[in-house]
Amino acid sequence: MVSSALARYLLRRLGVSALLIVGVTLVTFVLTNLVPGDPVAANLGQRAAENPATVAAYRAHYGLDRPLPVQYVTYLGNLLQGDLGESQQTHRPVLTDLQSAVPATLEIAIGAIVLSVLIGVGFGVVAAVRRGRLADSVLRLVSLVGISVPTFWLALVAFYVFSFQLDLAPGSGRLAPATTPPPHVTGLYTVDSLLAGEWETFGDALAHLMLPTLVLTLYTVGLLTRFTRSAVLEVLEQDYVRSARAKGLPGRTVLVRYVLRAAMVPILTVVGLAFGALLSGTVLVEEIFAWPGLGSYAYQAASHLDLPAVMGVGLLVGVIYLVINLVVDLLYGVIDPRVRIS
Amino acid sequence: MFGARRSAALAAAAAVVLAVAACGSGGSGGGSGSGPTLVIDSTFDLKTVDPGREYELTGQMLTHGMYETLLTFAGDDLSTPAPGLASSYELSPDAKTLTLTLAQGRVFSDGSPVTADDVVFSLQRVIGMKGNPSFLLDGVTVAKRDDSTVVLTSAEPNAALPFILPNPALSVVNSKVVTANGGTTDDTDGAEAFLNSTSAGSGPYTLKSLDVASQAVLTKNPAYNGPAKPAYDNIVIRNVQAATQSLNVQKGDSQVALDLSGDQVSGLDQGKLTVTSGPSAYTIFLFLNQGADISTATSNPQYVSAVKKAIDYPGLLQVAGTGSVQPASMIPTMISGSLPAAEAPKQDAAGAAAALASSGVSGQPPKLAYPSDFTLLGLSFQTIAERLQSQLAAAGITVELAPAPVATELDNYRNGKEQMGLWYWGPDFPDPSNYLAFAPDGLIGKRANWPASAAPDIDRAAKAAAAAVDPAERASLYQEFQRSLNAGGPFIPLVQPATNIVTAKSVTGAAYNPIWTLDLGSVGVAAGGQ
Repeated sequence: MVSSALARYLLRRLGVSALLIVGVTLVTFVLTNLVPGDPVAANLGQRAAENPATVAAYRAHYGLDRPLPVQYVTYLGNLLQGDLGESQQTHRPVLTDLQSAVPATLEIAIGAIVLSVLIGVGFGVVAAVRRGRLADSVLRLVSLVGISVPTFWLALVAFYVFSFQLDLAPGSGRLAPATTPPPHVTGLYTVDSLLAGEWETFGDALAHLMLPTLVLTLYTVGLLTRFTRSAVLEVLEQDYVRSARAKGLPGRTVLVRYVLRAAMVPILTVVGLAFGALLSGTVLVEEIFAWPGLGSYAYQAASHLDLPAVMGVGLLVGVIYLVINLVVDLLYGVIDPRVRIS
Repeated sequence: MFGARRSAALAAAAAVVLAVAACGSGGSGGGSGSGPTLVIDSTFDLKTVDPGREYELTGQMLTHGMYETLLTFAGDDLSTPAPGLASSYELSPDAKTLTLTLAQGRVFSDGSPVTADDVVFSLQRVIGMKGNPSFLLDGVTVAKRDDSTVVLTSAEPNAALPFILPNPALSVVNSKVVTANGGTTDDTDGAEAFLNSTSAGSGPYTLKSLDVASQAVLTKNPAYNGPAKPAYDNIVIRNVQAATQSLNVQKGDSQVALDLSGDQVSGLDQGKLTVTSGPSAYTIFLFLNQGADISTATSNPQYVSAVKKAIDYPGLLQVAGTGSVQPASMIPTMISGSLPAAEAPKQDAAGAAAALASSGVSGQPPKLAYPSDFTLLGLSFQTIAERLQSQLAAAGITVELAPAPVATELDNYRNGKEQMGLWYWGPDFPDPSNYLAFAPDGLIGKRANWPASAAPDIDRAAKAAAAAVDPAERASLYQEFQRSLNAGGPFIPLVQPATNIVTAKSVTGAAYNPIWTLDLGSVGVAAGGQ
């Protein structure tokens, strides 16, 4: 039966994922501890770091006075209870920090990926179908620009032009300074303000989302346009497409039913990877827009040798990619019956 | 065949972009509150606003706005401690006993009076928690004499204590409230989380909300009855990178930008914005390691002298930008004990060549280590190091740049492993005793592997300055110490970078203070402003 096969498949995938997560924790733990430098020096002031009593209290508080294997085992033990440790930088539980940083990043990443799929796949299909003609050349140029322009530079320029010069967008942050964040439900300000019926806050949050989202979109649009174009071109050259056409099926039907469906599998992989990259790689864009998301958090954590926070981010990014891979693999089956699990 | 399809796709894409853009223009101006709100942009180094635990610049500014200390400084005058929660103080002739008389009638934000017990609890908590600022009261015991008198006793003569007490880390907290929320005077204290959500002080503002990564909101303390004049209903302090700060303040999204460099300030429209510039209290310095096992070159006195004479100091000021000055000693210009500008080290090409020749140094060039990812007041250490390298090269002294991220390089610095190091020192409190760190065997002296036995004269000068109590005598002895340090020490003071506070014309009273940057309680609204 399909459902029990699916259940078995899911169980196996989850088992493998659990092992991979343990692997991720081991790798991040070893790597963060290989970095030269002492978190005590990075986090205690000059004078405090000279005071043995203060240093001893600090080491004991963060468990840094124990041997590394013991620290790792303690970390895993705490992890099983949902405890990611305490950030040495913010003095808060890493889990709490991540719970406030992730929704901020999700909000721009979701917007960017949705826009990118709509625009990028559309552009790619058009470019493939009009191969060698003006539209193709223009779209290929656009995607090349999208991929080549450094995102942080684009973020600065976009901020300068649209916010500062043209006043089409608000300044930095997730909300205007005088706006109170909506009651916390999901952490996504747009969703939470809608749930609370606070229309003004919703508009403010949406306005602040606009620029960072569009900046991130340009890169993924470029990526998806190029990828979709080549995937569609490949399918267009297949024999079955030619036969379908020869049989007199209308062009649009062939494109939607045969070509897009077949091309969707590789495109989906790229979308998944692009989404993962958006979630974990928005550091500079977040810094420029003063966006308190995962990227900013990871940057701060790394520059302060905040080991619990670095490990928390590493673990989270690992989990994100595992989940994305699983979802993408399951969607393959939906799109293409040949890879369906049975 | 697919023409219609293409147009549809393009139209859809355009519609999405326009829809998002339309939402944006509608929301940009919205959300202004009922009373005046001040928006300050700053790059955060914030960890906590628990006064007993904070010791970062942003934390100092915030706690200074919400709490009060026994003594304080008025405006940018660091030469005389002014009354705070204590109306007067008296230091005993041996500088071991400081007696403070508390001001009467002062209240916390919950309306309860500020008592001598609150003072004793607050200071004992800082000492007992062994946090970052605990060292401020090393060797000090705190006791209540009566309801309006508190006595601080130091084991050693401590003439600097009145200059230490204004530090916001030594703020007085409401002991009943803090104790009820986990506060103690030892390392079991658990009040930090509470104090990061609610303030418990007697300052002009109270804490409304805090996210250490992105923003803090303060609101006017209705019970406040002190001398400051809190002018804003709310103050929002946001974590914003310097490049964005410049745009925000020009556009009017914020009223204060705290981290603009000289270059960024020079491009601003000074008709719309006020720029308050001046030298900061930071000293950027170069040191040469005196350990022969670390480097035979840098431990050679003639080589040290050659480097001192080879540097083009005015050239470095050009890199540092408008408003920066060359300090004549490790002690910056505004702190007692500093040397007059005329005594500052000067470039002497011939002298450098002679010293280099007599040093006999050859072989592997020393490594110049510095934090590559660090900027101080908009000034990048990378830029200064590159300029130094080329200046030294012009005098025939080759050094190899050895940049590393600050988090990793700090270890080498603190462990005394750097051959040459480019770092900075900011005063913990505006008193010359802070600069005993540069004495042989002092905190930074040790990092240069410079023992007292290597420079007995300088060691004597430092000890004489440390022991002095009378203010005039102290200033003169610290000057002697600085002169001997310039002549024979391994440290070369290079630059005091400028601070720039950029404010909208509606803002008044934004004076720079090296300890708490900006006194939020005295920032006001100009007539007709806001």
